[in-house]
Amino acid sequence: MKLEKVIAVRTSKTIYRDGKYAIKVFDENYSKADVLNEALNIARVEETGLSIPCVEEVTKIDGKWAIVTDYAEGKTLARLMEEDHEKKDKYLERFVDIQLEMHSKTAPMLNRLKDKMKRKIAQTGLDATTRYELDARLESMPKHNKLCHGDFNPTNVVISEDGEHYTILDWAHATQGNASADAARTYLLFWLSGDIEGAEKYLELFCKKSDTAKQYVQKWLPIVAASQSVKGKPEEQEFLMHWVNVVEYE
Amino acid sequence: MNTKMTYEVVDSAETFERMLSRVREAQKLYASYTQEQVDKIFRAAAMAANQQRIPLAKMAVEETGMGVVEDKVIKNHYAAEYIYNTYKNTKTCGVVEEDPAFGIKKIAEPIGVIAAVIPTTNPTSTAIFKTLLALKTRNGIIISPHPRAKKCTIEAAKVVLEAAVKAGAPEGLFGWIDVPSLELTNTVMREADIILATGGPGMVKAAYSSGTPALGVGAGNTPAIIDDTADVILAVNSIIHSKTFDNGMICASEQSVIVLDKVYKAVKEEFKKRGCYFLNKAETEKVRKTIIINGALNAKIVGQKAHTIAALAGVEVPETTKIIIGEVESVDISEEFAHEKLSPVLAMYKAKDFDDAIKKAEQLVADGGYGHTSSLYIHVSEKEKMAKHQAAMKTCRILVNTPSSQGGIGDLYNFKLAPSLTLGCGSWGGNSVSENVGVKHLINIKTVAERRENMLWFRVPEKVYFKKGCMPVALDELKTEYHKKKAFIVTDTFLYQNGYTKPITDKLDEMGIQYSCFWNVQPDPTLANALEGTKQIRDFEPDVIIALGGGSAMDAAKIMWVLYEHPDADFESMAMDFMDIRKRIYKFPKMGEKALFVAIPTSAGTGSEVTPFAIITDEKTGTKWPLADYELLPNMAIVDVDNMMNAPKGLTSASGIDVMTHAIEAYVSIMATQFTDGLALKAIKTVFDYLPSAYENGANDPIAREKMAEASCMAGMAFANAFLGVNHSMAHKLGAYHHLPHGIANALILTEVIRYNAADVPTKMGTFSQYQYPHAKERYVEAARFAGIQGKNDDEVFENFIKALEDLKKKIGIKKTIKDYGVDEKYFLDTLDEMVENAFNDQCTGANPRYPLMSEIKEIYLKAYYGK
Repeated sequence: MKLEKVIAVRTSKTIYRDGKYAIKVFDENYSKADVLNEALNIARVEETGLSIPCVEEVTKIDGKWAIVTDYAEGKTLARLMEEDHEKKDKYLERFVDIQLEMHSKTAPMLNRLKDKMKRKIAQTGLDATTRYELDARLESMPKHNKLCHGDFNPTNVVISEDGEHYTILDWAHATQGNASADAARTYLLFWLSGDIEGAEKYLELFCKKSDTAKQYVQKWLPIVAASQSVKGKPEEQEFLMHWVNVVEYE
Repeated sequence: MNTKMTYEVVDSAETFERMLSRVREAQKLYASYTQEQVDKIFRAAAMAANQQRIPLAKMAVEETGMGVVEDKVIKNHYAAEYIYNTYKNTKTCGVVEEDPAFGIKKIAEPIGVIAAVIPTTNPTSTAIFKTLLALKTRNGIIISPHPRAKKCTIEAAKVVLEAAVKAGAPEGLFGWIDVPSLELTNTVMREADIILATGGPGMVKAAYSSGTPALGVGAGNTPAIIDDTADVILAVNSIIHSKTFDNGMICASEQSVIVLDKVYKAVKEEFKKRGCYFLNKAETEKVRKTIIINGALNAKIVGQKAHTIAALAGVEVPETTKIIIGEVESVDISEEFAHEKLSPVLAMYKAKDFDDAIKKAEQLVADGGYGHTSSLYIHVSEKEKMAKHQAAMKTCRILVNTPSSQGGIGDLYNFKLAPSLTLGCGSWGGNSVSENVGVKHLINIKTVAERRENMLWFRVPEKVYFKKGCMPVALDELKTEYHKKKAFIVTDTFLYQNGYTKPITDKLDEMGIQYSCFWNVQPDPTLANALEGTKQIRDFEPDVIIALGGGSAMDAAKIMWVLYEHPDADFESMAMDFMDIRKRIYKFPKMGEKALFVAIPTSAGTGSEVTPFAIITDEKTGTKWPLADYELLPNMAIVDVDNMMNAPKGLTSASGIDVMTHAIEAYVSIMATQFTDGLALKAIKTVFDYLPSAYENGANDPIAREKMAEASCMAGMAFANAFLGVNHSMAHKLGAYHHLPHGIANALILTEVIRYNAADVPTKMGTFSQYQYPHAKERYVEAARFAGIQGKNDDEVFENFIKALEDLKKKIGIKKTIKDYGVDEKYFLDTLDEMVENAFNDQCTGANPRYPLMSEIKEIYLKAYYGK
C-alpha cells in the first residue's frame, strides 16, 4: 500500500488513495474497537446490497490501524453542489432520494440507534434535569430498524462521472433505527456547516418524500444535538445547548 | 419545615428494592385498616399538608425557578383542602355499597403500590394530591419526582407521610426516589401495581408501555373561543386570571384565544387595559423564535413572568406586563404560537364567524391538546352554538365562561367537576381515563353477587267466564259494563255457515249493538287472510272484536286486532325471538285503545282465549311470525261448552292431546311456578279422565266435553305464564314441513320428548335462575301420581306414565309414528336437518328443562318417525 496521495484529512484520521483502493489510517491512540467496529459496519452494510465501498482489508500500517476499502470514483455531492450552484436543488433532491433508498434497507446485526443515543446522552455532562428530559424523550421514540448512516451529509455521497451511480462513504456511525433520527442528524449537520437554507430545504424535501410529519423529525433534534455535543467542539456548544434545552409539555 | 424522620437515600436499583419492600410491607398492613382509621389518617395528613402550604410553595419556586409562590400556595391549599373535602365521606374501605334485595355488594380493596410520577410544573401540589389519594384508598405510593423538583416533591410527600404515621398509618407507606433517573422511574413503574403518571407525553407513553396498568394523563393546548355574545370583560379577565396563574403552568390553561370579528377590537382593548402586551410584527417574530425551538418548548420560558420571557426574546415590555399576546393567523403546528406554551404567552386569532372559530379551535386541539380541555365564552342563551362547540371539541373538559386553569382542575368554578391535579384526556389523548382522576380510580371493586331469582308473574285475561251456557250471560257485559256500540265478529266459514255465530248476533241484536262479521278465516291463517279481515274492521270501526273459533280464528282475530290498533305494525320486530319476555328488545305497542277483545273457543285445545300468543304466516315468504306479548291477551274469555258439543272426532282427538301437551310442558318448564303447577296438574288429570269419553261419546257426554273445555283453558293459563318446551318447538316444524295437524304433531313426539327430558344427566340444562338442577323426571312422576298413575318406585311410575299416554293416544285414534301418517321417508330425511335447526331455533325451546343439542332433536325426530 502506498500512502502517497492524501485525499482527505479528518480529526484523528487521514484518508489516502492507492489506485482502486482508499486507505483510512487512524491515529495511534484511536480506539481499536472503534476501528474494528467501523470495518464490521461496512461489512454488514455491504450485505444490504447498497452501493458502498467494500472493505478489503483491515490492517496496521506503521503501527496505526487502517481500513482498506474500494475507492469510489466520482465527485461528492458537496463538491457538485459547490461547483454548480444553479443545480444545488436538484442535487439536494438526489441526496434525499439516496438517503431514502438507504433507509429502505435493513441490517439486523448493526448496533441500535436508540442504544447509541442513550449512551451519548449519558456522556454529555449535561445536568440531571436535562438528561432526564432527554432520556424520557428518547424512550418515547419508536423503535425502528432502518439502516441509518449517522453522518449522512453531501460530503459522504459520491456520484459517478456519468451521474448514473452513487456511493455512500463513511460508515463509522452506522446504526439501525428510526429514519427520522438519521434525518434530524443530517439537518443538524447542515446547520453546523452554516447552510441553514440548505437545512430547511433538506427537511422539507425529506418530509415530503418520506411522507413524514416535520415535527416527527424535529422531536429528535434535542437528542441529536445532545449527541453531537459529546464531540465537545467549543464553537458548537452554545448553539447545541439552545436546541437541547427544551421540555416536553406537562 | 418540620419533617423529622430519616430515610434511606434511594439512588440505585438496590436501595430501590429495599424501599419497595418497605412500602409493600407497610401497605399490606395498611390494607387491613378500617374506614374509620383511614379517615382519621386522611384528615390528619390533609391538615399537615395544608399547614405547610407556604413553605412548600416557596421551596418549589426556589428549586424549580418556575411559577409564583402565592399561586403555588393556592395549589397546595387546594390539593389539601379540596381533596379532603370531596372525599372525606367517600367510602373507600370494605363494603361501599350493598343492596340486600338484589343481593349485590361492592367491596373496595386497595390496589397495592402506586407509582406516582410528579411533574416540575406542580410538584408539591401534585405530591400532596397523590399521597392523599393513596392514604384514602389504603395504597402505598412511590414518588418519582422530576430531577428539577425532587427536593420539594419529596418534602411534600414527607409532610403527608409523617402526619399520616402520627395519626396511625404504618411507617414506610410512602417511598420516593432521591436521585431520579429514567431507569429508576421505569423501575418504579414496572414494579408498582398501578401508575399515576402526570408528565409530558414521553413520560405518559413510558407509563403505558411499562406493562403496569396506568392512569396517565396528557398534554393540553386549550383554545378559548370568545363569541360575539360573550361578556367581553368577564371573558378577558377570566383568561388573564387563568393564564397568569402560576405563570401559566397549569396544563388546562388557555394557550390561544379565538375572538369573533365583531368583538375583536373590544377584546383587544380590554386585554390592553388590564396590563397585557400586544406584540408588534417584529416582536412577534422574536418571541416566536424564543418560545419554541424546533417545534419544542424552550425550557427557559416555562413558568416565567411575561417580562422575563420578553427580555429573553429581546423585546422590551413593562415589568408588570401580565401576558404577552401575539396576534397570529395560522393554527398549523408550524406556527410557534399555536403550541402549548406553559407560560404567560398567548396566541390571539380573529375568527370571521363562529364556525371559523370552531374550525380553528379544532385544529389547535389537534396540534397538541387532544382530549384535554377547551373553553368557550358565550351568552348562555346561545344553546345552538354551545351544542356545536361541544360536538366539535375532542376534549374531555369543555368549560363555559370559566378560567380554564382553575376551571379544569375542578370544584372551583363548577362544583360537580371533581377536584384533581391529574386530568384524564381519554383515548384521544392516549389515556385510559377521560375524567379528573380521583379515589375511584385507585381502588379495586369486588362485586359480590348472590343468586337471586327472577321476578315471576301470573297474567291471564281480566275476565274468564265458563260453565255451560255462560256465553249470553257474559256477553251481556258488553252493554251493561262496557257500553259497547259496535261489535266485529271474526270466525271461519264452517262455524258461520253452521249457525255458531247466531247466538252471538242474537244477543247483540237484543242489546242493540251493531255488528259486522268476517267469516273467512283460513286454517293456519296467512297475513293476506288477516289483512282481508282488517280492511273490514277498519271500515266498520268496532269498539269490540269477538273471536269465535279454534286456534286459527282466535289467532287471526288477534292479528287483525293488532293491525286495527296499529296499522304500521312491524311483524318482523314483533316476532323477534327473546330470551326473557320482560327483557325483549322490542316494545310491543299498547293494545285495547280502539277495541276490546273477546275470545270464545269452539274447541278444547289451543287455550288461545287465555294466552298472549298468536301465529301468522306471511304467504309471500312462507315465514311464520309467532307473536308473543301480554298485550295480546284477550280482555275476556268465554268458555262455553255449548260451542264445542258437536266437534268432530278428529278435532276432539287432536286438540285434546294438544291440551295434554300444553299441560305437561308447562309443568316441566324451567319457568313453571306454583301458580301454573296447580292448573297444569289439574289439566293433565282431567285430560286423562275425560278425553277418551269426549272423543268416544261427543255430545252424549256433556260432562266430559265441559271438563275438556275447562282443561284446555287451564292448560292455556299455565303455558301462558310458564311457557312450553321442545315438544312444541318440534311439533311446530313437523306440522309445517309435513302438514300434520298441530295436535297430532305434538302427540307423535310427546313420549319421546318426555324420555329425553327425564334424563338425570342431560347434556345441558336450561338457564334460568329458578331452575336449580335437572329435575324433569321428578316432575313427570309428580304429574303422573297426581293423575292417579301408580308404581312401586319413581322409575315404574315414570314408565307407567309413558304407557298411560300411549294408551290415551291409542284410545283417541292417534297413530304411533310419523311414518304411519304417510310422511314420505325420503322427503322426511331430506328436510330433516333443516327442520332440526328450525325446531332448535323455535321460541318454545328456551323454556325446555333440558337445553337441546341439534343432534338430540334429530334423534328424537328419527325415533318418532320410525317408532324406534
